[in-house]
Amino acid sequence: MVADNRFGYLDSVRFILSYTATPVYWVADMPARTSEFFDDVFVSHSDLLAENERLTNELLLAQRELQVLASLASENSRLRALNEAARIVEGEVLAAEIVNRSPDRASKRVLINRGALQGVFVGQAMLAADGLMGQVVEVMPRSSWVLLVSDPLHITPVEVNRNGERALARGVRGETDELELEFVTQTQDVRPGDLLVSSGMGQIYPKNFPVADVVSVDNDPGQDFAVIKARPRAQINSTRHVMLLIPPKQEVQP
Amino acid sequence: MKSKAYTYWVVIISLFLAYLLAIVPLPDWAMNWRPQWVLMFVFYWTMALPYRVGLGFAWAAGLLLDVLEGTMLGLNALTLLIVAYVTLSLHQRLRMYNPIQQSGLLLVLSLVALGLGHWLRVISGQIEPVDSMYLLAAFSSAAIWPALFSLLRSIRRGFINN
Repeated sequence: MVADNRFGYLDSVRFILSYTATPVYWVADMPARTSEFFDDVFVSHSDLLAENERLTNELLLAQRELQVLASLASENSRLRALNEAARIVEGEVLAAEIVNRSPDRASKRVLINRGALQGVFVGQAMLAADGLMGQVVEVMPRSSWVLLVSDPLHITPVEVNRNGERALARGVRGETDELELEFVTQTQDVRPGDLLVSSGMGQIYPKNFPVADVVSVDNDPGQDFAVIKARPRAQINSTRHVMLLIPPKQEVQP
Repeated sequence: MKSKAYTYWVVIISLFLAYLLAIVPLPDWAMNWRPQWVLMFVFYWTMALPYRVGLGFAWAAGLLLDVLEGTMLGLNALTLLIVAYVTLSLHQRLRMYNPIQQSGLLLVLSLVALGLGHWLRVISGQIEPVDSMYLLAAFSSAAIWPALFSLLRSIRRGFINN
């Protein structure tokens, strides 16, 4: 156990063992797939089906670009460079579906139906159409585990869209899907209703993608830091279609 | 008497069902109540066929469950190993008990397995500690044990004649 957890010696063993897991995941997802299949059969023909899928993907992409645009407009008003944010729009995405979730309530993880064979890698960012979802933590041949932003061990570097105040958003323990901003001093300007976007620090998430809305700000003079709660933009418990961000190829300097 | 390999296939196919039940998505309110299927199946098979299904089998079953659940490799293997060890050492007495009494022992084993698993994951930094609602799974496991026991017994009597 220690070898696996601390040193990663067993990563390859795990990877091979997870071939045996694929059929189990496949069967476990069958009810959901069957219902989707029957929906399709009774509603449309196969060519309509293909078109539908293409449109869904395009819609996801368009919504994502729209989100980025909202953020861009705000950034423009603050007279900041647009170059950085425009870069995300160029990044490609890999469409995926959430097929299962962690059977353990203590860890908020979901299983997606894309794995190493589709080019998924550990640390890849997962986005939903309306906000950030999480990052890949374990890759298997045809599926991967994604740690959600609402997990208490997951910290997202964010900034307030209105004024650029930076903070760290951590998942709240327990059954809620809320986030908590850590180490925000009482004097920092964060108000309920503010949109938190990812700040791009930590190099995992793209810059300026919406993460959460601030729900409550509690300035208790007795505490060192303000207690700020936020609700993730992404519908974490009801989304099935997600995107994995493929980072743009790094130019190699000669 | 059927061949040994045949017996193993029956056990393996029944375990496959247990894996399915263990990872099939459930609504939020039911998550804490999901019985520990794999643990119960290992408990039954080590009790019923102690000379064929032993510690190595329990360990392998736990390892596969680790892979499925995405937990640290060896965590469920360890807890199932403990369950199988206790069951093996008590199997002759357990067979004399009626299913209600067996579910008493299953409750204890299940609580130990859940507690140990949770504790190991907390000290290794995999999760943050949560309230003890996750222990409810032990009670639901014990509650359905008598039904599962008679089902598995009829499967064993139907397929494995020894």
